[in-house]
Amino acid sequence: MSIRALIADDEELARHILREYLANQPDIQIVGECDNGFATVKAISELKPDLLFLDVQMPKLDGFEVLELVDAKLAVVFVTAYDQYATKAFDAAAVDYLLKPFDLARFQSALDRVRQRLALPQPPTLAPAELRNAALPPGRHTERIVIRDGAKVHILPVAQIDYVEAQDDYLAFHSTGKSYLKQQTISSLEESLDPSQFIRVHRSFIVNLERIRKIEAYTKDARLAILADGSKIPVSRAGYLKLKEVMAHP
Amino acid sequence: MHPLLQNRNSLFAYFFAWVPLGVMLGVVVSGAGHLDARATLAVIAPVTLLLSFVCLSPWFLCRSLPLNSTAQWRILAYHSIAAMLASSLVLLMVPFLLQLLTRFRPKIEQQFEPAMRALAGMCFLFYMLSVALHYMLQAVENSRQAEVLSREAELKALKAQVNPHFLFNSLNSISALTTVDPARAREMCVRLSDFLRNSLRMGERTSIPFGEELALANTYLDVEQVRFGKRLRVVQDFDSACQECEVPPLLVQPLVENAVKHGVASLTEGGEISLHAHVADGRLCFSVENHFDPDAPSQRKSGFGLVNVRNRLKARYGNAARLDVDVHDGTYRVQLSVPFTKEIRK
Repeated sequence: MSIRALIADDEELARHILREYLANQPDIQIVGECDNGFATVKAISELKPDLLFLDVQMPKLDGFEVLELVDAKLAVVFVTAYDQYATKAFDAAAVDYLLKPFDLARFQSALDRVRQRLALPQPPTLAPAELRNAALPPGRHTERIVIRDGAKVHILPVAQIDYVEAQDDYLAFHSTGKSYLKQQTISSLEESLDPSQFIRVHRSFIVNLERIRKIEAYTKDARLAILADGSKIPVSRAGYLKLKEVMAHP
Repeated sequence: MHPLLQNRNSLFAYFFAWVPLGVMLGVVVSGAGHLDARATLAVIAPVTLLLSFVCLSPWFLCRSLPLNSTAQWRILAYHSIAAMLASSLVLLMVPFLLQLLTRFRPKIEQQFEPAMRALAGMCFLFYMLSVALHYMLQAVENSRQAEVLSREAELKALKAQVNPHFLFNSLNSISALTTVDPARAREMCVRLSDFLRNSLRMGERTSIPFGEELALANTYLDVEQVRFGKRLRVVQDFDSACQECEVPPLLVQPLVENAVKHGVASLTEGGEISLHAHVADGRLCFSVENHFDPDAPSQRKSGFGLVNVRNRLKARYGNAARLDVDVHDGTYRVQLSVPFTKEIRK
């Protein structure tokens, strides 16, 4: 059975190299090529490739965002020019990563690892959100959240988020009266957001500080945060302490 | 050497500032003694002149006793002693002066006697005032020097900076071209080398003609053109008068690089970069405009390139340079305007 590979890179010449190197691999078949993030997400769900060569910097969605939006179990080989932070993340999560420019020998060894990985009875899956967090340079935070809704992809700038609620395996992002569901853990989200703007006020709630209008006492230890749109968010004791600290040192 | 003595204008200004001080001294002395205006002038004018020179001397002592690293009692003690010595020096001159003047005013020595103490006090006071002024000058000078040093460091950092993304992506393009189109691969090697060589060379200069800046930016665009192909479209429109305007090196290229990195590279279908420059009202106006994807994460907010260009403009031109950024409908526009200056060739 041959390995079905998808190439995602916005530069024609960069795709050409991969095509050229793959031409001599009888067990690998190229099923598609994409030049932007949206097209890559679409192609993955339609073509169900086994292997993805993924450039990190692409128009529309970057490589990490693409991985957050697909749940297919595929082997990923990152192909990138230079990224001093991302390489750490690749080490942990991807099958391999190739730094441009790379030679045939290096490419072969990446393919060897891919073959080994795909031969495993249960290939390990990626945790895309954690991968993305690991690739963020120190001091930088996520600026937008990508959410898949059927065939549609929503891009939600973090400033537009009112609050986030954890529901089982999902997170509900509430923004301007609408809510979007995404499969992610609340702690990985918390880690990627700017801690001076987003506060985990409760085990299952993260709130945008700018939306809070007032805090009301609820029970002995619990409080309620009233947001600008009238939503009421539970605030735990620890959450209240965090809020007070952030407000004291803006 | 005292900085005031190095510049004739500032030295004149300094002595001029002593005129009112001399008048003050005269008023005090004539009030304390029994002297008329002409006799006071005859004594106080030379005294003030001497005092003005003596009051330059704290510069040396102030330098060897910096305010923040010397104990306060030492500063006070040293300067007080110096002030007493300086006053004594001035006061020693007075008897000679008076002796010379007895020929015209026989009783002048007795008349001046009661003013001696007041004069001594004033000399001491003026000297201490001068010490304070010198410390102030020193502080101003220090902060200016610190600023210059930090600017130089920043400039060095910028000059050493060749974007690694650009370099590796270009090398990757060359690698691809070696089999598809060897002639173009070679051409791109040459372009890339031209760019690297020129940007290194420019980094060593403090000022270059705008024409050379444009040439460098174009070499950069040539390399990126190979990488992006049809996605990168460049429109240029220049006044030939612009060519000779002297500008700080590597001013245009970072702006063009931003336009490619955050503009064209963010668009699947690519986009246009337009460069315009003209001379108007003794100023060089330059603009870089590019399409971009408004939904892309805004990496520009902390754009190192733009901040750096802004700082360097400030360092070179003070408030005479302008840099405006204007974003609307998927178009990003940076406008730059600097005074038109030509190099004076010797």
